[in-house]
Amino acid sequence: MRASAALAVELDRRRPGRTVVRALRSAAPLTLVPRAGAARPEAGAAAVVHLVSSAPAPLGGDELELTVRVGPGARLRLHGVAATLALPGHRSVPSHSVVRIEVAEGARVDYLPEPTVVTARAWHRAELRVELAGHAVARCREVLVLGRSGEPAGRLHSAVHVRRAGVPLLRQSVDLGPDELADSPAVLAGHRVLATEVIAWPDVVEPAGGDWWALSPLAAGGALATALAPDAVTAQRLLANARAAHPAAADLAEPAW
Amino acid sequence: MTDPPSPAALILADSRFPGGGHVHSGGLEQAVSQGLVSGLDDLAGFLAGRLRTAGRLAAVFAAAAAHAAARRVRPAHWVALDAELDARTPTPAQRAASRAQGRGTARAALVAWPSPVLADLLAVTPRPHHAVLVGAVHGSTGGNAGQAALTTAYLAVSGPASAAVRLLGLDPFAVNAVLARLGPALTELAAEAARTAADRPADLPAPSSPALDLLAEAHDRHHQQEVRLFAS
Amino acid sequence: MPADRHAHDHGPGADHVHPVNFDPTAAEPDRHRAEPSAGRAFRLGIGGPVGSGKTALTAALCRALGAELRLAVVTNDIYTTEDADFLRRAGVLAPDRIEAVRTGCCPHTAIRDDITANLDAVDQLEQRFPGLELVIIESGGDNLTAVFSRGLVDAQIFVVDVAGGDKVPRKGGPGVTTADLLVINKVDLAELVGADMAVMVADAHRMRGALPVITQSLTRTPDAPEVADWVRGRVARVAA
Repeated sequence: MRASAALAVELDRRRPGRTVVRALRSAAPLTLVPRAGAARPEAGAAAVVHLVSSAPAPLGGDELELTVRVGPGARLRLHGVAATLALPGHRSVPSHSVVRIEVAEGARVDYLPEPTVVTARAWHRAELRVELAGHAVARCREVLVLGRSGEPAGRLHSAVHVRRAGVPLLRQSVDLGPDELADSPAVLAGHRVLATEVIAWPDVVEPAGGDWWALSPLAAGGALATALAPDAVTAQRLLANARAAHPAAADLAEPAW
Repeated sequence: MTDPPSPAALILADSRFPGGGHVHSGGLEQAVSQGLVSGLDDLAGFLAGRLRTAGRLAAVFAAAAAHAAARRVRPAHWVALDAELDARTPTPAQRAASRAQGRGTARAALVAWPSPVLADLLAVTPRPHHAVLVGAVHGSTGGNAGQAALTTAYLAVSGPASAAVRLLGLDPFAVNAVLARLGPALTELAAEAARTAADRPADLPAPSSPALDLLAEAHDRHHQQEVRLFAS
Repeated sequence: MPADRHAHDHGPGADHVHPVNFDPTAAEPDRHRAEPSAGRAFRLGIGGPVGSGKTALTAALCRALGAELRLAVVTNDIYTTEDADFLRRAGVLAPDRIEAVRTGCCPHTAIRDDITANLDAVDQLEQRFPGLELVIIESGGDNLTAVFSRGLVDAQIFVVDVAGGDKVPRKGGPGVTTADLLVINKVDLAELVGADMAVMVADAHRMRGALPVITQSLTRTPDAPEVADWVRGRVARVAA
């Protein structure tokens, strides 16, 4: 299956400070649902869009693409609603998903998908590419779970690229799977869940950390929160520790829905 | 790789090479202190994982740097390689360890293998990443990308192996055998790294090493309280 | 000069140079040393066995010289925070003038075979404090064979102590025989531990030929005046 979805938000010219959804194109299994009330947003508030997987996706052979544009000064919060299950397809080829996010000057995006569970025999390649303008901010979370409870993991290659004004802030990929040495103390050290959150904020960040979590300043600006945990709930809690250590912690707190 | 290794490759891979490598354990000291590595089996798993993650990243950049050095690239290319490797090294502790070893290797290399290529590289990146510097020495002394990758990948595991002997008192013959068993993986990884040597810096692979990143940060944090014997 | 230069005792002040000699107990100054340049700080190594008083001597020199020379210290393998705080608590040096090197369990390698980590530490201090005149590099405690590379230091002091036994100088080793200055520490303890100072000093001079030996007790002279004078002389020689 091939699917290409798109989302664009921008500031409303007639109502200053209000972000509106300008374009939205779902393509099964990528279904985008603006949160109720998005038509009458409050000034300064983010447009909230849910990313619903309307089919159990991705399956082997799927090519999924999502393109997101956040206009100058606009704010977008893009949420997942349920865990993504990477499942095996009928063909012996990987499924492939690409998410591209462009964030214009003065804009902010929070890309917070739910965990990706790499089921047994899955073969999935995920790619996230974020392009930030010089004074845009973004945070992007990724939570990878090796298999459903008690199940061995399939194969996953996940790559994240974040650039600001063309300068690379973060590029990293992870290769997980039954033969990928996840148990090695150098890779996942026996943990089943790897959670990361890029926090591309202007603040100067001091390194912080605790048992199996860290908040690390990136060389070219911004920070990366990393956590390893036995389960997704613990991983989220450790990520929250890392966010709390960030100077912009108040800005990063999870809103109540 | 059928070419014999260049003499420079042998010298760089020698544990007696005076580039400051002996004070780095590549996360092994922290793994030992957290009880993750206590014997030969754990060490073998640690090294195999390190090779596939941090070792592969280093090999990829060493191969690219060797290719670049052989072509005598413009200084901007060294700046790009440096920035791209920085973006692939998310923790300050890992960047500091890489640059400390790069600087140490550069000091030795400037005396042993002075060249316009090294001068160019060090003019724009005075504290280069270790992998880039090692690759550049290979490329500027007639070595190829595969050899540079092999040397660098080997160094990514030989240092921690030696640290394990010193920290855990493991049988050096057994540890040496663990290293020897990584031979096929080293060869494969070096050949794979050589295949991307000509790619644009931005397109080079970016294998992460999450546990090593966390161990490196923990190593630095704990050094403030209980003191570590290795710099990383 | 007799053919066998080791059959005779070198009295204090004896002034002759040996040809190349591979006898590890041979006394001879290193003739291959790099000339310290006037553009950087003078680098002084302080080595010696564990517990001989290297850190105490370093602190004493900081006290004695801190007011007249711009100085900083590199420590190797400080194992406990108590030790690490010693210099700071002594109040003789601001903490940012002290760089700690970790040697990966190989203190002798870090000062002799692969001096990279120590050179990096010196570089960092010189960048932090432009115009530094003296950097003292204190080695980790090691055995009698450990000496500083001439690529790292311009001069080195080897510290032994009376409590280690009066046979130490006689045992030789490159530290005792070739260091630019041998300091025999804790002489106030000689009687308590039954050490014969006369034998110790005579052995030291015999092993070292023309090279100087200073005996001291930091209990009696906390600022190590004789050693400080010797250091002043060495630094002045380069500055001149």
